[in-house]
This record gives sequence, C-alpha cells and structure tokens, in this order.
Amino acid sequence: MTLDGSAAEAGTARGTDAPSPARGRKASRRGDVRAGYAFLSPWLLGFVALTAFPMVASLYLAFTDYDLFRPPSWVGLENFVDLFHDPRFWASAKVTAIYVVVGTPIKLAAALAVAMLLNMKHRGQGAYRSIFYAPSLIGASVSIAIVWKAMFIDDGIVDRIAQFFGAEPGGWVGDPSKTMPMFVLLAVWTFGAPMVIFLAGLKQVPTELYEAAAVDGAGPVRKFFRITIPMLSPVLFFNLLLETIGAFQVFASAFIISGGTGGPADSTLFYTLYLYIKGFTQFDMGYASAMAWVLVVVVGVITAILFKTSNAWVHYSGDNR
Amino acid sequence: MRITRKAAGAAAATVTLAMALTACGNGGEPAEPGSAEELSTEDDITISLAWWGDDDRAAKYEEAVDLFEKAHPNVTVQTQFQAWDDYWTARATEAAGKALPDVVQMDLSYLRQYGGTGQLLDLSGQVDVNLDVAGLDEALLSSGQIDGAQYGIPTSTNTLALFYNADVLADLGIDPPAEGYTWDDYNAWVEEVSAKGAGGEPAIYGSADYTGTFWFFLQWLIQQGVDPFSADGQLNFDQAQMAEWLNSGQNLRDGEAFFPIARTKQIEPLGGFTVSEAASEASWDNFLAGYVAETEQDIQMLPMPSGDNGPQQFYKPSMLLSASASTEQPAAAAALVDFLINDPQVGTIFGTSKGVPAVAAQRDAMNVEPGSIDEQVVGFEEQVADIVTEPAPVPVEGFGEIEAEFKRLSEELQYGNVSVDDFVSQWFTFADDAVGSE
Repeated sequence: MTLDGSAAEAGTARGTDAPSPARGRKASRRGDVRAGYAFLSPWLLGFVALTAFPMVASLYLAFTDYDLFRPPSWVGLENFVDLFHDPRFWASAKVTAIYVVVGTPIKLAAALAVAMLLNMKHRGQGAYRSIFYAPSLIGASVSIAIVWKAMFIDDGIVDRIAQFFGAEPGGWVGDPSKTMPMFVLLAVWTFGAPMVIFLAGLKQVPTELYEAAAVDGAGPVRKFFRITIPMLSPVLFFNLLLETIGAFQVFASAFIISGGTGGPADSTLFYTLYLYIKGFTQFDMGYASAMAWVLVVVVGVITAILFKTSNAWVHYSGDNR
Repeated sequence: MRITRKAAGAAAATVTLAMALTACGNGGEPAEPGSAEELSTEDDITISLAWWGDDDRAAKYEEAVDLFEKAHPNVTVQTQFQAWDDYWTARATEAAGKALPDVVQMDLSYLRQYGGTGQLLDLSGQVDVNLDVAGLDEALLSSGQIDGAQYGIPTSTNTLALFYNADVLADLGIDPPAEGYTWDDYNAWVEEVSAKGAGGEPAIYGSADYTGTFWFFLQWLIQQGVDPFSADGQLNFDQAQMAEWLNSGQNLRDGEAFFPIARTKQIEPLGGFTVSEAASEASWDNFLAGYVAETEQDIQMLPMPSGDNGPQQFYKPSMLLSASASTEQPAAAAALVDFLINDPQVGTIFGTSKGVPAVAAQRDAMNVEPGSIDEQVVGFEEQVADIVTEPAPVPVEGFGEIEAEFKRLSEELQYGNVSVDDFVSQWFTFADDAVGSE
C-alpha cells in the first residue's frame, strides 16, 4: 500500500503541471515497479516465510520459556541472565572462539600459499586448481566428517603414522586436548573458496610493480610484503570477514564427529552445537533462541570491529595515499 | 500492498498458532471407561505408527502390522521409525505442531512430558471397547497412568541385570562374581579383572565406569529403601547420597581400573563390553540379544549387586504404546495398540527383543527353545522374581534431560575435569531447572 500508493500519488501530483510525455514515462515506470515486485515475489515469499518470520518469532521466543509442549510463557530477560551463569555456555563460547581465532588465520594462510603456487606459470595449472578446490566442495558434508573421524580414531591412519614417528599410541577423537587440532585441520583442508578468491586477486596485481621492484633489487620476501600483501589487502579483508563469520557457524562436522554431544568432555561443544542441544535435545527453545541472538550480536560486533580496523590496513587502488 | 497483506497474513498465522498452542493445556478429566465408539469395519481408515529401534525391530513391526491389516482389512497403517535420539527430536517437533503419529512407541522417561502436557490420548475410554487390558498386571498397567489417565499401555517388562562375558573370563581364569555379591564385592572383582587383563593385547577391563549410569544410581537408592522420586514428581534424594554413590567408584577411577573413557568415546556407539574388552556390563535384561549379536561370545546374566539392605530390584515397563491426543481415529489407534500387546502371533514375532511381553498369551506364544536367547531372558526374570520386590520409580518430567546430564558429567568426571563435588552441585543446579520446569 505505502510503496505503490505513494509512488502513484507523487506521480499524479507532479503530473498536473508536467508535460504529457513525462506523464507517460511515469506511468510506464509505475508499471516497471509492479513488474519488479511481481518478479521479486517468489524471493519475497521465501524471505518472509522462511527467514523474516522465523527470525522475528525467535526474537520473541528468546524472551520466553518454551518447551514445544506448552505455549511459550514470557520470562523477560531470564534466558539471557541464565546464559551468563551457564558454565556450558562459556565452554561453548571458548571452544568457538579458539576455533575462530586459531583456525581462520591458518586457513587463510594456507589458502594464500596455495593460491600463490597456483599463480605461477606451469603446465596443467587448471587441473591443479580443480584438485585443490575439490575438498571445499565436500568438506562440510556428512561423509567427510565420518571419514575424518575414522582417520583420527585409535589405530586410524593418523594414529599409525604418529606412532611410526614415535608418538604415544591413541586416537585424537577420544582425547579432549587433541580434538581442536583435528577440527582446525578439517577447516584448513577446505581452503578452496578463499583460495580461488586470492587467486583472482593475485591475477589483478600489475606485473610492472614486481618488475620495477626487481630492478630496484627487492627479493621475493620484500616483494611479498611490500607489493603482494598491500595490493591483495581488499581481497584479504573480504576473505577474513567471510571466513570469520563462517567459522562461528561451524556445526555439521562437530555434530557428526561427537555424535551430537559436543564430547569428549565438551571439547567439541561448538556454540551452534550447544544451541542445537538446548533446543532439540533438551527442548529449551526459549534458551536456544536467546543463544542465537547473542551469536548474531557477537558476530555483528566483530564484523564492525573488523571494518573499523580495515581503514588502517586495507588499501583500495585509487585511494589517495 | 503485497508486503502489508503478507505481514497481516503472518500475524494472523501467529495468532492462530498461539491459539492452537494455548488450546493444548492439560487434558482435563480422565475419560469414562468404555465411553468410546467401536472401530468401524466399513470406512477406509488410515493411521500412522512410529517407533524407535534398529532394522531388526523394523522388520518385526512390519510383520506385526501386516497381520493387523489382515485382521482389519479397512485399516491401513503407515509406519516410520528412527534411532532413539532422532526419534525424540522428531516427536517433539510434531508435538509442537499437534501432529504426533496416531500411535507412538513411548518410553517411561518421556511419559510425563507427553502425557502431562495433553499430547496423549487417555486410553481409559477405549478399555473394553477396542482395547483389552485384562491380561496386564494391575501394577504394571498403572505405570502407564498419570493422575488416573491411561496415557500408555506397557507392552513388556525388563529389569536390570549384570552381563558378563564368560569367554573373556575363561581366558583370564577368573570366576564371575559369586551369588549374593555386593557392590563392594563387584568393585573388588572389577579391579581383579582389570589387573589381570592389563597385560593383554588388547587390555581387558572388569567394567566401564558404571557409576555414570543414572538408572544404576536409582537402583542403588532403591536398595537403600529410598524411592527416588516423590509422588508429586520431585527428586527425593539429596546431594550427599549422590556423592556417596559416585565416590564408591573413585578408587577404581584413580587406579584406572575402569575401561578408559577416551576409548569409549572413540568406539561409540559400541562400548567396551560389546567389543569384548570389558568383561562385564550392567544393563536391561532385554539387551541380551544385542550383546550376543555384537560380541558373538558366551554372554551370561546375574542379578545386580546387593546393597546394604539387600538385593531389591524392580520391573520396569521396557516400553509403552500411546495414542496421540489429536488423532482423528482413536478407535483404530486403540485397536492397533490392543493388537500389538495381546495378539499371540505378535508375541512370537518379537520374542523378548522389547522385553518380556506383559501379557501371558504373548509370553506363552514365544518360541522359547532350549539354549535360545529368549529362554535365557525368561529364565533370568524367573530367577530374579523373588528379589523383584519394589515398584518401578515413576520418572519425573524432564527425566530424559537429567539422565543425559548425569551421563555427560560422568564423562567429565572420568576425564578428571570435575570432582565428585563439582559433579553433584552442577547436576542439582541443572535438575532444579529441568525437573517439572513450568
């Protein structure tokens, strides 16, 4: 009503003193608006029914006690207060924070390193690119989580190789101190998406810069830090943002490897997994909704901080600096 | 325009949903016995049935359902099944949408959650019309009641047993625990087995840390003369009692005499006992078939260890059948429940895999061949009949959650991340919130 109506009103109001060709143009523009909404409607319908409405509902539920069996009852901020007194909430926040802080930089470094290798002039680079990208296509899948678990259990391939090099026998899956490295490795292994973006960024760096630097006697290390990194910084920033947000949301692999429990000893209790346990195992939907909104706020704040700091280290070509 | 109308539609949907949800308060007065209508033999009726379990159980259910459909040609039964965890997630979501299957397999630990919140049909009205419960023991039947309403019909019973692997013990040259053994005797025996089995490849342990299983704690309480839950659905034990129970295994934890938790976590869903690396494990007696299939060894059963006041045990309904409160076909749902608990052929199909059948006609119809698993289970229940003197505890609402929290904290205890005192205080904090949370 408001959108279409006001546009139409504005059209007629201006139409009185406007020449007729303009009026015709207005009418056709109005038609465009309608057509635009018509074409948007499948997406709008999906957005409202599957995203907007559930989000609003979960915001409401975050302030209620809701166990699926009884109607939700308003409890105000109780869920949020309980959250901050819940040791498992903090355990899950810690696990997730470590994963984000340790896993993301390693993954980005690996992606950049491989992207630089693949940027060299070589025979069959296209094939290599596909091969290195492949893990990302399947990395989030259930089957890989199962394979990962099989590799890291007692007497699995990793355990045997480690024993060959003199390590104590024992799988990683059952040892709370070794589960995090296992998940970080899984994350790093799926570096394909940032790698492709890095590769595209590397291709944009003008070769003259390297040539000029070489003439002035710069070595590869100096070239990397003085040319590649600054020129790549917008791409680096983009990848950092996406990977950080993505790391906060890791769920499927943790769910599969720990059998949905976050074990052993809560060492794989990622935030989203605890949210799932609260909502769908303990039927505390109000609490789970509160957790979801805390996550939204935290990710929002971290994104804002990253944007703020980016002024200091991201160089967009065309900047006056 | 479109946006506004859609928003209005969403708002209307919310209100309708809220109204639907508020309509599902407590069920009200128990139904009058025999007040229901008889199942039609004319109309085409379709009902749904859901259970948890493995493929083996699914095959048995399908066979039983075929027989039911043959007996009631106008009724079609749609079936579905999941593993335990997924089963309850699916049922909870359906309950929120008032869309439970017409007949659901129910566990005692969830009966209060579903029955007490108006999700289940009070089957009293169907009794003597479409549902015959005459073959059920009165006490057993009452375990499916809440405030006089019959929300579930027990299909079968089980009781706790100590299973031991006779082949593994023979290799080690150690005898099973002697008759009349106590919890202390059992601990000493576990230590002996673990000490002797330590050098093996793989090492053999006496048992996994059994103190982490909530039901064993309840069994121990009952032997102390404590009824774990009060009549009004609250906890009836204190922190000191739980600490005493957990501390009873502390020497074995410290001495690494229990099957290591790190190994347990890696072989899940199997356990130390099912991979024949632990010589004993306590569990429900109907687990025998599963143990024999997994280990392919000679598995024998003993009563649970005795407490200070004696060996008291209890029969628990191993599972129940319930009908949905929102079913449109209560008569057909009741008839299906009736068929599954009473029909002798169904007894033949299931044997003791769900527990020992509650109704004599089904018990008698089992093919109890000498040396068979069914014979072993039936024989065990006869053997312990004298010591089964206590009623089964009626699980409080939220039982499933406090049971899971107990298991989780036990894992933390076994990893050495929490002390017994931490365990107890954390568990009680959790339980205060979870039990009868309103």
